Amino acid sequence: MAALSTEQLTGQRRVTSLEVLCAVLVLAVLAQGPLTRMLDIPAARTGATVFVAVCVQAMPFLVLGVLVSGLIAAFVSPLALRRVLPRTTTAAVPVAGLAGMALPGCECASVPVSRRLMQQGVPPAVALAFLLAAPAVNPVVLVATAVAFPGEPRMVAARFLGSMATAMVMGWLWARVGRPEWIAQRALRHSERPPGCSAFAVFTETARHDMVSSGGFLVLGGLTAAVLNVLVPASWMASLTGHVVLGILVMALLAVVLALCSEADAFVAASLTAVPLLPRLVFLVVGPAVDIKLVALQAGAFGRRFASRFAPATFVVAIACGSLAGVLVLGGMR
Amino acid sequence: MRRETQNVLLVLLGGALCKIAYNGSFLRYVKPALLPFLICAGVVILSLGLISIGRDVRAGRTVSDHHDHAGRSPWLLVLPVLAIFLVAPPALGADTVSRSARAVAPKQPAAALPPLPAGPAPALRMSDFVTRAVWDDADSLHGRQVRLVGFVVHGAQDSTYLGRLVMACCAADVTPVKVRLEGYRGLAVLPQDAWFEVRGQVVPGSARSNTHFTPTLTVSALHPVPVPTEPYEF
Repeated sequence: MAALSTEQLTGQRRVTSLEVLCAVLVLAVLAQGPLTRMLDIPAARTGATVFVAVCVQAMPFLVLGVLVSGLIAAFVSPLALRRVLPRTTTAAVPVAGLAGMALPGCECASVPVSRRLMQQGVPPAVALAFLLAAPAVNPVVLVATAVAFPGEPRMVAARFLGSMATAMVMGWLWARVGRPEWIAQRALRHSERPPGCSAFAVFTETARHDMVSSGGFLVLGGLTAAVLNVLVPASWMASLTGHVVLGILVMALLAVVLALCSEADAFVAASLTAVPLLPRLVFLVVGPAVDIKLVALQAGAFGRRFASRFAPATFVVAIACGSLAGVLVLGGMR
Repeated sequence: MRRETQNVLLVLLGGALCKIAYNGSFLRYVKPALLPFLICAGVVILSLGLISIGRDVRAGRTVSDHHDHAGRSPWLLVLPVLAIFLVAPPALGADTVSRSARAVAPKQPAAALPPLPAGPAPALRMSDFVTRAVWDDADSLHGRQVRLVGFVVHGAQDSTYLGRLVMACCAADVTPVKVRLEGYRGLAVLPQDAWFEVRGQVVPGSARSNTHFTPTLTVSALHPVPVPTEPYEF
């Protein structure tokens, strides 16, 4: 810290972001009293707790994601990846979906990893199939689902099918109609390892950079989720008894705005005993594929033009795949 | 945002995670099982910042002149840091219970419930108490005094409840349980959100669909308790 500030003094004369940060911190400490009082109304206090909770809950998974991303950048060459994946994109999409089973995390982990895969030359359609599959079909999430629905073992199979179908349909859809220019250039730029740079340095630099860039968007997502958590009336859920089609739509929207971790959403879905089973399955399929914090993370990683097309498309595809898987596996509308 | 600033933010963020893991206040936000992962995350973020600072210092100015074009989004990382160090939001309480929809029936237990623990007034978890009140065919609560720990929630029409929140993973996914309190003087003036241990006896047949499966407890004694280290039930 001391070394940095002397650098600051000898360097530029403009106000730098470091000085702004110091000013923000000093102001915040001075204004701590009013700040705490401002948050002393019950709704703001609830919102603040939910905000910190979403951030704290997601950080370990984001860290896992950036570490895996760093490892890929440092130790897995684009050539090796190309050799492992089938040559055609159409065949590589399901392989990427199945590979998602190997990343035991929630959705925050898969965003930096799939961006890294793109930078290492994996076709975007394949990386996107991985992005959608990983948070929903990994063993941790499937076990959590089985534990949450002890009386309904078919729920696990239905969730697996619905999520895997969503990932593959979106992958193939992107291969068909997706345009490379929708993805921000920075996401695709392949980072050449500078000469004389050790693998460890590449690893830490990549992880650090991903942490900084995704972390901010995770916070944005947490903030949105906290505000909606306080504002969305909970009576929405209580009014769904017996309405399957309305239930599917409302539960899909809830999955987006609640932005639950994919390891926790099964328990929430299980507790909503008043809602029929099929809408709850759609909730589990939509949640890991598209929610507020995930959209924020995607906009950060791949650009706003990408997120504004990919998220709505995923939403529709996930509802369709979830409903279909439910009708097939759970045996009808119930 | 400059590299140095990003690194300082990472150090602060990692430090914030380590702090709540160390002093136990992480239990207000997430379940206890997350602790090892939380420590790892804090230490990794802290080290990424420190390693990068160390590398820049050793390399001198040439590296730190290099601007990192991550845009303005990293500024948002200041928010959780400030929230944790300066505000330290408390565990969720009465506001969340009153915000929630009408309580739904607790899940039917898979097996028959064991008899209540022996003793004059066994301590029960709030969620177990409600499950027994709704589902227990053997009527194990009948005629028994029990002790419950929770916080005060004032509802409509001067009703007073003892509330508790059940967490699956983090505070964004809590579901409330509540028990209506009656038969004790001064219930209406208990401070909202204050924690109490309440001793009493269930009113038979009070947890039906017309009360939204909220049992009523006839209170025989209550006394304030400090906020438990684990404010949620799991």
